Amino acid sequence: MGVNLSSMRRLRKRLPLSRQVPRLPPSRVSSMASASAPKCNSHTSENEPVKSTSQDGVNCDLNETVPRLPGETLITDKEVIYICPFNGPIKGRVYITNYRLYLRSLETDSTLIFDVPLGVISRIEKMGGATSRGENSYGLDITCKDMRNLRFALKQEGHSRRDMFEILTRYAFPLAHSLPLFAFLNEEKFNVDGWMVYNPVEEYRRQGLPNHQWRITFINKCYELCETYPALLVVPYRASDDDLRRVAAFRSRNRIPVLSWIHPENKMVIVRCSQPLVGMSGKRNKDDEKYLDVIRETNRQLSKLTIYDARPSVNAVANKATGGGYESDDAYHNAELFFLDIHNIHVMRESLKKVKDIVYPNVEESHWLSSLESTHWLEHIKLVLTGAIQVADKVSSGKSSVLVHCSDGWDRTAQLTSLAMLMLDSFYRSIEGFEILVQKEWISFGHKFASRIGHGDKNHADADRSPIFLQFVDCVWQMSKQFPTAFEFNERFLITILDHLYSCRFGTFLLNCESAREKQKVTERTVSLWSLINSNKEKFKNPFYTKEINRVLYPVASMRHLELWVNYYIRWNPRIKQQQPNAVEQRYMELLALRDDYIKRLEELQLANSSKVSSASTSPSSPSQMMPHVQTHF
Amino acid sequence: MEFSELIRTGRAQAELLRGPEAPPLRGTLCVTSHHLLLSPGTEASPDLWLLLLRSVDSIEKRVAGDSGTITLRCKDLRVLQLDIEGVEATLDIARSIEALSSLESVITSFPFFYRPKGLRLGDAWHFHPPERYYQRVARETNAWRLSEVNEDFSLCPSYPRALIVPHSVDDQALARSAGFRQGGRFPVLSYHHARNGTALLRSSQPLTGPQKRRCAEDEELLRAVLVGARPGARGFIIDTRSAQAAKQARMTGGGTEAKAAYPGWKRLHRPLERGRPLQESFVRLVEACGDLEQSMDRWLSRLEGCRWLAHVKEALSTACLAAQGMEREGACILVHGAEGTDSTLLVTSLAQLILDPLSRTMDGFQELVEREWIQAGHPFQLRCAHSAFSHARPKHEAPTFLLFLDCVWQLGRQFPLSLEFGEGLLLALFEHAYASPFGSFLCNSEKERGLCEVRTRTHSLWSGLNQPKEQRKLRNPLYALNPLAIWPSVEPQSLRLWQGLFLRWTRPPEPSETAWEKVWQIVTDSEKTEGSA
Repeated sequence: MGVNLSSMRRLRKRLPLSRQVPRLPPSRVSSMASASAPKCNSHTSENEPVKSTSQDGVNCDLNETVPRLPGETLITDKEVIYICPFNGPIKGRVYITNYRLYLRSLETDSTLIFDVPLGVISRIEKMGGATSRGENSYGLDITCKDMRNLRFALKQEGHSRRDMFEILTRYAFPLAHSLPLFAFLNEEKFNVDGWMVYNPVEEYRRQGLPNHQWRITFINKCYELCETYPALLVVPYRASDDDLRRVAAFRSRNRIPVLSWIHPENKMVIVRCSQPLVGMSGKRNKDDEKYLDVIRETNRQLSKLTIYDARPSVNAVANKATGGGYESDDAYHNAELFFLDIHNIHVMRESLKKVKDIVYPNVEESHWLSSLESTHWLEHIKLVLTGAIQVADKVSSGKSSVLVHCSDGWDRTAQLTSLAMLMLDSFYRSIEGFEILVQKEWISFGHKFASRIGHGDKNHADADRSPIFLQFVDCVWQMSKQFPTAFEFNERFLITILDHLYSCRFGTFLLNCESAREKQKVTERTVSLWSLINSNKEKFKNPFYTKEINRVLYPVASMRHLELWVNYYIRWNPRIKQQQPNAVEQRYMELLALRDDYIKRLEELQLANSSKVSSASTSPSSPSQMMPHVQTHF
Repeated sequence: MEFSELIRTGRAQAELLRGPEAPPLRGTLCVTSHHLLLSPGTEASPDLWLLLLRSVDSIEKRVAGDSGTITLRCKDLRVLQLDIEGVEATLDIARSIEALSSLESVITSFPFFYRPKGLRLGDAWHFHPPERYYQRVARETNAWRLSEVNEDFSLCPSYPRALIVPHSVDDQALARSAGFRQGGRFPVLSYHHARNGTALLRSSQPLTGPQKRRCAEDEELLRAVLVGARPGARGFIIDTRSAQAAKQARMTGGGTEAKAAYPGWKRLHRPLERGRPLQESFVRLVEACGDLEQSMDRWLSRLEGCRWLAHVKEALSTACLAAQGMEREGACILVHGAEGTDSTLLVTSLAQLILDPLSRTMDGFQELVEREWIQAGHPFQLRCAHSAFSHARPKHEAPTFLLFLDCVWQLGRQFPLSLEFGEGLLLALFEHAYASPFGSFLCNSEKERGLCEVRTRTHSLWSGLNQPKEQRKLRNPLYALNPLAIWPSVEPQSLRLWQGLFLRWTRPPEPSETAWEKVWQIVTDSEKTEGSA
């Protein structure tokens, strides 16, 4: 969705000088532009292949008016002026379906300008009034969740924007109008069922569970122990279901410590939970203390159990006021607690807002690096990565099992456990493995996607919204940059996941937890994002991937080695956009194909040769003799 | 002079620390006339460790108890630490290194002694003669001719013997024009854009002085350039100084082209940093990159404060401007600053890379460096005498050539398929420009190289680099010829710190090398099978 080569081409055409900042003196600019206008192709200098399929395979043949998914219906269309922040106003026709907002140019050729799922919309505002003066001052301003805004100008006569505003509001925020999210209407069929990707029993079996120390419990089968946890949990063998119930009473939202991952050799584990309910009075709970000790003893560990509290210590202390807190030394003799200084969802939301301020619509030019620094976005990324590295290192070095929590254990905790698992276990670096990781640590363990993203909800200022999952994907991207051969998936895979995090086309990220999903029968009534990806895997593969078992990846989490994910955060700006995002990958695939072709031809030749040779009954020449010395020409 | 006089001590026992990644080496340390050697002397690691003394930028010694420590900061930005047994030995070795690494005489430098196996003296010095390019241009157009007016370097000591000038301008006029330009650097052709017949020229500033002198021959020369390109063609003079600086230069005899004197030419000022400020920016950046102690929260603003990336941006923008003028406007371009030996060359060489697919090949790029930097008289000996660590007060040092390499790296990052060479070649050029066993970057001009007999008594860098075994390090396996101009994005968001150079010695080994290895395997396989099939 969203990114369309054709729309990019269109943009280039309109602004031939877009990539060239330096300009000759003003008097020259116009003639330079006109001189080069027909040569728009010279911008696509790295042999850009022209494709008419958008990123996710939706057919958007230029001759067809609106691309339509099965189950998608056209609601309305209208002539508008699209105020492109990069190229100025463009006259176009906007089409609104129950899934997307789609704009086609009405100038010269009817190219696609953009194609945005309504789920991406966070806010719709009217700009200007019926009496506003000035050109294009009356219309709609649409804020999107993916780092851009869309502005339309309409004719002032006859409240022309009212219809559009109402229809957009209705379909972009269906929850407020008792309408279903599009995912429940989507009738797409794929030859792979993404809902089958994650099966918790199979995943735990892959990890070698259950074993003598750890058992699978169905105590939460009907979600009565913990509403936001999955039905199936892995807990120490020595802890009875009654123990678990008593521990649950002492953990915020009953999110008890359960196993996320176990090291195949040293049996150290990563355990996740929420904060203990210590409160102002410093309450203790013998069962919880004993339970943590049982966890420590599962691998006969003599040293203390390591607890990583993701929060800054100040926040952990402050949480006591609302009944929370952290494990104190006095109560937990056999545990050692460290704070990881990762800030809460509100800080992250504000940080990303600042990033948007400096990249959209105009990129900050004169003090780019210090502006970027002042958003603190990369610093937060650094802290999350650093925390995950510590978790991974403790476990992989065999020093100690690790317990991770933050406050409720569904934001920072999910980031830390899933990133640590990605570092420790190469399985999660494959396409399916990563899907399982997301499905397990994020979706099944109740990261509140619905609240954090606000699917179909009009309350754009909701304090529950926060880009926690985006931050996780950013960390994954940083790792994939540093280890270009370690991941089976490419950048497009990550961006596709992020696009559908908002789109509401698939059921994958809907609702807040497993129990809610079960009630809504999400797996029966919606399509999984993994169906789309897994039925078209080649597009999402990293050609440089080299499968490795047992390699632990420790990314460098220093500011020197982190960079802003320009291809995601600044992707709407044609000036910054990479000329051909996947040039290297594509070239590599070409080279591979070329080699295969040569090898095939060589084999054919050899075959032909050997038949000749045998008929002539002379000694056959070996392939190596046939190879002339390879001299690289330079 | 005998080297042995400078060598205080023959040998000592020492341990060498080479940064966080490489294991320490222990063995016998030995100073020779041009090298520092460490011979492990054990069966386990029989390899000899060798450092060209010329590449030492600064040296620091400390003694404690009965041992000492020498910290060597190298011109390639490496930092090495030697722990040496014996106080006397430490001091002696430090003094020897100090004396030998700062020798200024060219003809006693290592290239005059370097005799590698498999290379013959004199080879490859004619690998990339600029004459070949000039002859091609002269042949393909009727507007240009080769001139031997500078055969004995009398017109311009910093120009090579062969030059290419407008066909209609005779040698006498050239001599007049040379007299009107600082250092005799009259306008010559730098690049001929065959697609539309426009030309890129370079020179030094005109000596207008406070009296606003004029020179008819110089004016005629530039007029002839326009006429040769196309009737009615226009030109732009890109002055790499600010308008104010150019005006001020009149006080000291320099200046800039008066509008009225050069009809058809329009002057643009695009100030580029040079000299001391550029060197300081380089020093600050290297300092920041090496400062591992400092809290990293302020890294980005510190990086910005170094201004290095701003210089990269300015250089690329100005080169784009020149290239755009030719490609889009069909205009001729003359680039100059003051001397015309630094930022001028930066702009002309980058503009060629943007426009000319040939200059992006392995051969073409080497030819470009040879023609636009070495032969064009960039004073390498002065500019690269010291790198970023020297405590000596900088006199003529400036990392203009490094800035050029960084800009090329940025182009390669933005167009990963369009350059036939890879980061390896750029790193090699950086190292060799500052300290090299080869003679290519010695001296400041062709004239000096002639006097020192560089061509007959040293080996050319190109012969060293173009050995088949070096190719993997230097070539870009993904290269695919791109016949179009490559317009870089110069937004700050599109420019990156060149980690491969500035963080080369502080970061862990690049895991992406395995990726490149994979690509190479595929390419080699293809070539092999192609050969057979």
